[in-house]
Amino acid sequence: MNSEAMTVEEADGEVRAARDAILEAVLPQVAFDGWTMKTVAAAASAAGQPAGAAERLFPQGVIDVLSHLSDLSDRKMLAAMAEREVDAAGMSDRIAMAVRLRIEANAPHKEAVRRALSFLALPQNTRVAAKNTLRTVDALWYAAGDIATDFSYYTKRGLLAPVYVATVLYWLDDDSEDFVDTWSFLARRLDNVLQIPRLSGRLRAMANPLSWFGRHGPRWTA
Amino acid sequence: MPGDPTKDQLVQRVLRVDQAGEYGAVRIYEGQLAVLGRSPVGPVIRQMAEGEREHLATFNALLPQRRVRPTLLHPFWHVAGYALGAGTALLGARAAMACTVAVEEVIDGHYARQVAALGEDEPELRDLCERTRQEEVEHRDISLDHGAAGAPAYKALTGVIKAGSRAAIWLSERI
Repeated sequence: MNSEAMTVEEADGEVRAARDAILEAVLPQVAFDGWTMKTVAAAASAAGQPAGAAERLFPQGVIDVLSHLSDLSDRKMLAAMAEREVDAAGMSDRIAMAVRLRIEANAPHKEAVRRALSFLALPQNTRVAAKNTLRTVDALWYAAGDIATDFSYYTKRGLLAPVYVATVLYWLDDDSEDFVDTWSFLARRLDNVLQIPRLSGRLRAMANPLSWFGRHGPRWTA
Repeated sequence: MPGDPTKDQLVQRVLRVDQAGEYGAVRIYEGQLAVLGRSPVGPVIRQMAEGEREHLATFNALLPQRRVRPTLLHPFWHVAGYALGAGTALLGARAAMACTVAVEEVIDGHYARQVAALGEDEPELRDLCERTRQEEVEHRDISLDHGAAGAPAYKALTGVIKAGSRAAIWLSERI
């Protein structure tokens, strides 16, 4: 890499592009060989990366690869979302669309996702898994056009995280055409937690922690 | 320098703390108005509150745009700001004005530091901070014109409020 005249942003972009390229190469292989650094290194050299690139770009090994896969899929979702005209749709429709596009980003690599989730479920990996999930959930709300700047920012993400995870798990075992069963599962889950207008009232209530102690807390917001 | 925030972190901190600060300011004025809304200084406070609401709206729009999470302490500022406003207002109009002087003086220095830190990297955000700073200074001057210095225990009162404001800034940048 020629480092002299490169800004930090350009260097970051170059590293990201190299990581993306390795991931695209490794995804089709994982179904046969699993998520190991051996598989990743082989895919890296197949993608034309110099020797040692896999170890250099993913110093922590497979866990780094999977974190980057999550980030790459988030970016694919955001790009797919940007192509659609969803502004007119309601918030819960937009969230459903974002979750769907996020899952579809890896639809050709279901087995790789399944194996990734087994790896992330290992006790030593749950912290990274939780971090990745929160980043994804944040990207989903962002893609849906959420503009919360109060505590509901956090409650919204907290409500969506379990729905998102449950939907991915449902999708793994879904054999229906175009995953229609998954999307109706998703719609039902969202109905449970995000139902408008119950949603707005619930979030507004949760935004004021005084209300957590009962509905007769101080009413100062009038 | 190692340990200094990166450019991204700097922008995140600036937007997070400023949004929190303007929200706190709105709540302080709402607290003051609850007590002094119908007193002779009511219109003055209302006018300053309107200015803070405009600042808050600006930062509220910027946070999602730049994908900055709001401070986790938002509910706390909701209560603390209102309590500070109402509490000083209960000491009288001049104490309320002294509270505004103390807060705005800290904010003046806070925005000035942000303007210096942002420099040429973020010209738009820097100019916004500078504009906001000037309007906050106006609020301080208005409050001084309304007898802030005549408040009971002016030095002690403003000292405590300044220390609290600085602590609030430090926390909101980080949490």
